[in-house]
Amino acid sequence: MDIIEIKNLSHRFSDGTLGLDQINLRIEAGAFVVLAGPNGCGKTTLIRHLNGLLRPTAGCVKVAGVPVQKDPMRARRLVGMMFQDADSQIVGETVYADVAFGPENLRLDQEQIRKRVADALEVVGLTKFADQRPHLLSGGEKRRLSIAGILAMEPKVVVCDEPFTSLDYPGVKQVLKQILALHQTGHTIVVITHDLEKVLAHCDRLIIMQKGKIVRDGLPAEIVADIETFGVRAPCAAQLGMEVRSWLN
Amino acid sequence: MAELTSFSFHPGTSVLHKLDVRFKILFLILISFSSLGGGFFGLGLLSALLAGLIIHSRPPLKSGFKEFRFFLILLLLILMARMLTTPGAVLIEIKAIAITRQGVLSGLLVCWRLFIIALFGFLFILSTPSGQIKAAVEWFLRPFGFMPAKHIATMMGLIVRFIPVILNQAKETAEAQRARCLENRKNPLYRITRLAIPLIRRTFEQADRLIVAMEARCYSENRSDPDLSVSRIDWIALFILIVMSIWIMSI
Repeated sequence: MDIIEIKNLSHRFSDGTLGLDQINLRIEAGAFVVLAGPNGCGKTTLIRHLNGLLRPTAGCVKVAGVPVQKDPMRARRLVGMMFQDADSQIVGETVYADVAFGPENLRLDQEQIRKRVADALEVVGLTKFADQRPHLLSGGEKRRLSIAGILAMEPKVVVCDEPFTSLDYPGVKQVLKQILALHQTGHTIVVITHDLEKVLAHCDRLIIMQKGKIVRDGLPAEIVADIETFGVRAPCAAQLGMEVRSWLN
Repeated sequence: MAELTSFSFHPGTSVLHKLDVRFKILFLILISFSSLGGGFFGLGLLSALLAGLIIHSRPPLKSGFKEFRFFLILLLLILMARMLTTPGAVLIEIKAIAITRQGVLSGLLVCWRLFIIALFGFLFILSTPSGQIKAAVEWFLRPFGFMPAKHIATMMGLIVRFIPVILNQAKETAEAQRARCLENRKNPLYRITRLAIPLIRRTFEQADRLIVAMEARCYSENRSDPDLSVSRIDWIALFILIVMSIWIMSI
């Protein structure tokens, strides 16, 4: 079953620039998809249509069979989004309050909120930081907090926009582990990156965008060979003709 | 971002953290009125209460005072204006400038009052999450049907949420400019303009990103508010403060 269906999606910004040009895409439930491309190719614009943060100029986006435009709140509940800048995603004054932000917006009662927050913090291993101020967490912990905030809303799809930006090696490993754990528990994962090195070994589909269009879509091993033509650096191992290894090994 | 402004909620277990937010707002109002109406003895009493609360709740005083420095400069200006403009018995006279005893006393009184109110406000911000402030504002406005309580409360909650963000942006921008020797420019207007323009732009950009992140998590005015519950400690504190206020105002 396709959890995300995009048909002829185009988006034109208010200044007239064409951000997305006739995108057609289907993502199966439980898939692990990496969306890559150079800066300004339309990756972030595309994913912001998945939960109604942007409205299409033309075309249609469906999440679990229902058009996003018809019920954006449902789409936002089903598609959790981790933004590039973890700091700007933090809205709570404590770790607990930040994770509770989503469930509070869903108007759950306090008992349910407490349970969801406790579960989400346990999954990402931040339970002991519940009363701490989120801005004092490390980069990797902030990303995990973003994931907890998403998990508390019980989404089906988790979209991560450049999840490894400005993280050190342990931070990358922490976040990668978390993303893989989510995939193993049945979540559909969409990772946006222009740095394939860290995630390519784990994904089962690679999509390349250029100038608002999808120019490649398929198995990573098949696509990675000519990827540099589209302004995306191929992982070192792929350049040497070797198998791309996981950062977790 | 690790070194955040002190003007934001700090989690803790002090009495201030345990008090109901609605009572805390009432206490602030009571303290402000008694501070404005009280003399030196009343202000001394309030200062003793303030000192007790500071010792008990251990706020980040060092960084707090650092951020209070502009307020302290304002108080100094008020003190000077009072000293120089209030008629009375002359203490010091230099040419046409005369400092009077009454001026010094009234200046000290005004500054002390403002300082006490500001410090109590600081403790309030430190011990109260913005979500609770929002819920309390909504609770207070509920009887006034003609006022959009949820709307006002949401705006207040967001303002409180944004104060540390703006202060942080200001700090970062100022540091970046100092690193490029802005201090060599002596014209204050030039320096203020150079600080204000990027600060406003960055604040709006940050606000934009925050709004998108909030929308992605289904933000709306109709959300579950925190449970506001009154305990015995709130009533005891209210009783003490009412007695104290009556005493201060009657002296």
